[in-house]
Amino acid sequence: MLRYIFQRALLAVAVAFSVSLATFFLLNIATDPAYAIAGEDAEMEVVEQIRETYGLNRPVVVRYFDWLGGVVQGDFGESYYWKKPVAELVVERAPTTIKLALSALFVTIIVAIPLGAWAALNPNSWTDRFALGVAVSAQAVPNFWLGLIMIIVFAVTFPIFPVSGDSTWQHFVLPAFVLGASSVPAVMRLTRTGLIEVMESDYIRTARSKGYRGTALLTRHAMRNALLPVVSVLAVQLGQKFGGSVITESIFAINGLGRLALESILGSDIPTVQMLIFVFAIIFVAMNLLADILNAALDPRIRIT
Amino acid sequence: MMKLATSAFALTAVLTSTAPAFADKSDDTLRVALAEEILSLDYLYTTKREYIILAQMTDATLFEVNPETAEYMPSVASGFTWIDETTLEVTLRDDVMFHDGTLLTADDVVYTYNWIVSEDSESSAKGAIERWLDTAEKTGPNTVQFNLTTVYPLVLRDMAQRVMLRKDGAYSVDGVINQDSMANSLIGAGPYMVESFEPGQELVLQRFENYFDVASPIENVVVRNLPDIGTQQAELMSGGIDWMFKVPLDLAQSLGATQMAEHLSGPDMRVGFLVLDAAGYTDPDGPLTNVMVRQAINHALNTAEMAQFLIGGSSEAIHTPCHPVQFGCTTDIAQYPYDPDQAKALLAEAGYPDGFPLELWAYRDKEVSEAIAADLTAVGIEVDLRYVKLASLNQARANREIPAYFGTWGSGGTADTAAIARVHFSDTSDRNLSGDAELTAAVLAAESTNDRAARAAHYDTALNIIADQAYWAPLFTYSANYLVSPDLNFPLSPDGLPRLDQASWN
Repeated sequence: MLRYIFQRALLAVAVAFSVSLATFFLLNIATDPAYAIAGEDAEMEVVEQIRETYGLNRPVVVRYFDWLGGVVQGDFGESYYWKKPVAELVVERAPTTIKLALSALFVTIIVAIPLGAWAALNPNSWTDRFALGVAVSAQAVPNFWLGLIMIIVFAVTFPIFPVSGDSTWQHFVLPAFVLGASSVPAVMRLTRTGLIEVMESDYIRTARSKGYRGTALLTRHAMRNALLPVVSVLAVQLGQKFGGSVITESIFAINGLGRLALESILGSDIPTVQMLIFVFAIIFVAMNLLADILNAALDPRIRIT
Repeated sequence: MMKLATSAFALTAVLTSTAPAFADKSDDTLRVALAEEILSLDYLYTTKREYIILAQMTDATLFEVNPETAEYMPSVASGFTWIDETTLEVTLRDDVMFHDGTLLTADDVVYTYNWIVSEDSESSAKGAIERWLDTAEKTGPNTVQFNLTTVYPLVLRDMAQRVMLRKDGAYSVDGVINQDSMANSLIGAGPYMVESFEPGQELVLQRFENYFDVASPIENVVVRNLPDIGTQQAELMSGGIDWMFKVPLDLAQSLGATQMAEHLSGPDMRVGFLVLDAAGYTDPDGPLTNVMVRQAINHALNTAEMAQFLIGGSSEAIHTPCHPVQFGCTTDIAQYPYDPDQAKALLAEAGYPDGFPLELWAYRDKEVSEAIAADLTAVGIEVDLRYVKLASLNQARANREIPAYFGTWGSGGTADTAAIARVHFSDTSDRNLSGDAELTAAVLAAESTNDRAARAAHYDTALNIIADQAYWAPLFTYSANYLVSPDLNFPLSPDGLPRLDQASWN
């Protein structure tokens, strides 16, 4: 197990470096960061000065290895805009995004699992179709559109929640719902399929014969096995929430990693983008690793080697 | 896609909202939204427009522009004398106080100017100021002498709009130079002082009671960073903010038609234009090197309809490569009225009866870019529209890879042709696709004398060359669209610069 974790950790670092390499060169080839920093009406003198200040007049290869040299010493560089170490920026913003990602996952769980169970208990009925329809709609709707609609309904027309910001728990309700919605179909379908399969198994027939019915049968016997694959999918979905936070955080003006990523990409703040890509890649690989470990822990038949 | 969603949002919001909530003016707090993240309070180290808006509230300058007359008036200065063409003596008021309670002195002014042009400053203003400033020196308790390296007619403009006054030693902390020392904890001398600042999130300003000039009507200003225009609208509708700007015309009109917000549309110094590679940097024998082709392109563009339907408000079609209200921007130059038939005839005469392929670059106002492409296509030019990010366009232009682009320029709100001419027609500018030495000489000559008549004559020469040679296809002036709370009285400035310190409650 330890060897497996070590291998996956190495893989995470390799993925992160590969992505960072591609990102660095793509960003530098596509745009000159000095122009993005200077703004629309900047004169050439200002652009030149920015280039000199940030060392952007050096060859891109030199700059990459300079950045890489810093990274291996734990220095991810300084943001062009924030004028502070990007590691510090990420540490400041991470708690907000973690809070949002966990809230979104919570929304996914409380919506998708009951919906999946409801559909599984009434397979091929109108309730099944309805549940499936809800799930598919949640996946089909773009989250920036859903976000704006949620704002209109629950913050403007019926001012229940605040429109934007991140200072109270109420600020996280709408964005969590928006971010969590896209994961509902995968979790709901897996729950439904798993439950239908489990409900037809011998041990459930035995439980029924012992008199278990309804909720007791579902929660004590069926769910436990049916949710095994769901747990690992949830871990992967949690990783995706960090990437998905980019648009959601921008719409709701939440100061997390997602909004930082978007602003950095638009502004060609390469050191910040580099570190965020690094962080997101590691989170994603770590969540996949967690999914494997959870699977092994929950199902004795699975062994990680 | 985002625009579609935002439009849908505006429409749905207007239809569904039944109980609009207005900002509460009882706490005398003006809440404004900016899409651009505010990461520094020090305008000496920034260039973007949003920072100018904030600096006007927090900082003081030696001079200030009168937006009605476009003249530069003393502000922290009480008077000034040109000793000769390269020596300016400025007398200071003795009642100007910084936000920390200390009086502004001649030493502070001398320090600010000398700091900007010093090796260590790395200020964003350095390029503009070192163009003319040699040294600043104290000549009396309240007098400062500015020694110029050359004659420069825009000295007062730079003093009014580019140099915010700092305390002596502001960028030296415990003897160590720190260019960021004012970024988060600004000590200015403007009408508002910083109460709190969370970079990228929120700036809270409080009226400075010891401000030396007329006090601002509203006591507090809260500036929030809201990156999404749809979110800004929702905040405006729910009473979370009172003011937003850079609003797309259709959205401003739809929401402004309701009782939830007022749509204000004011003039803007920004102009739009098409720049053509007349010098042949991308193709030495290309069609754009032919003046008749460039004139045909001018004739092909229906600028009046672009101004009326795509920009709206106070936007107007122009035939000048500058804003008509700018000093030196003569309108008595060649015009190419919209005439597709004339355009086709000119193309045929130039040897392109069937048109030619043209790569047209653009970075903003996609509808306008597409309208330009459509007009050119209508006369036979096969347009390949390259709609890219600004930084990509700038880089391609620097590499001389752009045959034609749709550009805009705001002149920093400066009502002088110099603010647009040098950057586009000097010989060192990559924006200059004319390759015309005579034109460059005229533009630079206009900046080497303080004689207004001589300057106007130089610009007359320059603008006539540009028009005769059709180096540009001037399009239109822009219009600034705002959405504000019905409770707010927000005066519009003729130069298009939002002056929030002059806002008041109805």
